[in-house]
Amino acid sequence: MKIICRCEDITEEEIVQKINEGYHTMDDLKRILRVTMGLCQGKGCRKHIAKILSRELNIPIKDIVQPTYRPPVKPIPVSATADKE
Amino acid sequence: MNNTSDAIIIGGGIIGCATGYYLTKKGFKVNLLERAYLTAGSTGRCIGGIRQQFSTPLSIKVAMESMKKFGTMRDELKQDVEFHQGGYLFLAHSEEKKQTYMKLIEIQREMGIDVSFIGLSEIERLVPGIDPTGLLGGAYCPTDAQANPFLIVDGYAKAIKERGNVFPYKDVTQINVQKEKVVSVTTRDNETYFAPVVINAAGPFARDIAQMVDIDIQVYPERHEAMITEQMERFFDMMVVDYRPDGCYFNQKWPHGSVIGCYTPIPNVPGYDLGTSFEFAREMGRRMARLIPRLGNTKIIRHWSGSYEMTPDGNPILDKSDVDGFWIVGGMCGHGFMLGPEIGWLAAEYITEGKAPYDITEFALHRDFTGKEVMK
Ligand SMILES: Cc1cc2nc3c(=O)[nH]c(=O)nc-3n(C[C@H](O)[C@H](O)[C@H](O)COP(=O)(O)OP(=O)(O)OC[C@H]3O[C@@H](n4cnc5c(N)ncnc54)[C@H](O)[C@@H]3O)c2cc1C
Ligand code: FES
Repeated sequence: MKIICRCEDITEEEIVQKINEGYHTMDDLKRILRVTMGLCQGKGCRKHIAKILSRELNIPIKDIVQPTYRPPVKPIPVSATADKE
Repeated sequence: MNNTSDAIIIGGGIIGCATGYYLTKKGFKVNLLERAYLTAGSTGRCIGGIRQQFSTPLSIKVAMESMKKFGTMRDELKQDVEFHQGGYLFLAHSEEKKQTYMKLIEIQREMGIDVSFIGLSEIERLVPGIDPTGLLGGAYCPTDAQANPFLIVDGYAKAIKERGNVFPYKDVTQINVQKEKVVSVTTRDNETYFAPVVINAAGPFARDIAQMVDIDIQVYPERHEAMITEQMERFFDMMVVDYRPDGCYFNQKWPHGSVIGCYTPIPNVPGYDLGTSFEFAREMGRRMARLIPRLGNTKIIRHWSGSYEMTPDGNPILDKSDVDGFWIVGGMCGHGFMLGPEIGWLAAEYITEGKAPYDITEFALHRDFTGKEVMK
């Protein structure tokens, strides 16, 4: 059992299973498994997931479309944005 | 033939997918066409709140029936949808708000909702660490809830595929009408799909779709931003709603504990733009930390925006139109997720049986739009 997304605790087996069920894009996997949506915002797992997709579906890694990056790029503390009254 | 079906649905959000699901249950073969991927519209951008606290008998009834459908969804769709009844709490920071809530509670209780006005000590017990400054109490319904829109749409779509098809990346550009009757729709890649029934479930884009058959409907998009924090231990269970002009609403996601929330900007931001503003991140942080100071220590990890699909009176549109076979199910006014299951069921019943199972004239296409849903 190999953990691929540490933030959301998702294993390679789970990802491969979903690919076999027909979830064939990074966006599909993100929405069904929460991968890339954790604290690191996918920095730790995006590349690995793209590799797995490329291997399982036999498509070149450059053709794997990455989901949208949402700001903030780094997590920001609520208090850093909140004015102290 | 994959290109022919009993009905075509335009839009793969909660409304299109719920309508498709119930039509499929009624024996229809449905072809659902989505411009991008399922949940690409407002549904994938919403914060997943489900409540029954509305202000008119019809909206309350629809919300209550919808809640029942969320409750049995796990068994129906044979998958977990992260449905959790943690409640909704509407805070009253003024005597006027308190009176409004008390009046609504009367109507809501009469219709059978378990809702009451609770005092400060109860609120402090339910939301540990809340700042009681200026707070007079709140309208609390413990059976209000939350669920995961991605898993629900996924479950509905699987069921639609048992008879029909779900086609992602199919952008509808034309609806073909012959003798005042819809016959087919054409997509940007020049495919044509045939069906005697075409349902406009395009959410914020419902008006553009209706224009393809020369019908003008009053659905206008408005931008709403939202954010989510890192996961943390769950310490409050309900959606906390602060309706002051500089208020906000948020809950802790089930089961992971991230805080997800948004606020309604004043003035509102009309249009299709889905950008994000630094002002929102700063304001949302300030407003949350003002209510629950300990949230000031958490981190926002994502921030995005989506569209509310507003009608002038705050009620949805669910109706046939002057073009035979062309239906409109939209204008959910920012409540499409919570109302979706019941709206989808109502639409499927109306379409297959020729009449709605109960009186929904308040959702008619040709109505006087001057009324108001107070619990917007
Ligand atoms: C920040 C935010 C928070 C919210 N929070 C809540 C909440 O807590 N509870 C709640 O109940 N509601 C909430 N809402 C509102 C809710 O998200 C919407 O009311 C609901 O998702 C509408 O669903 P829909 O299916 O009508 O529209 P959508 O989900 O927008 O689906 C319409 C689909 O149609 C597609 N489409 C458009 N044009 C075409 C075309 N030409 N061809 C093919 N497809 C097309 C779009 O791509 C889109 O996927 C929130 C909304 C926002 C923005
Ligand atoms: S490792 Fe996947 S989101 Fe952080």
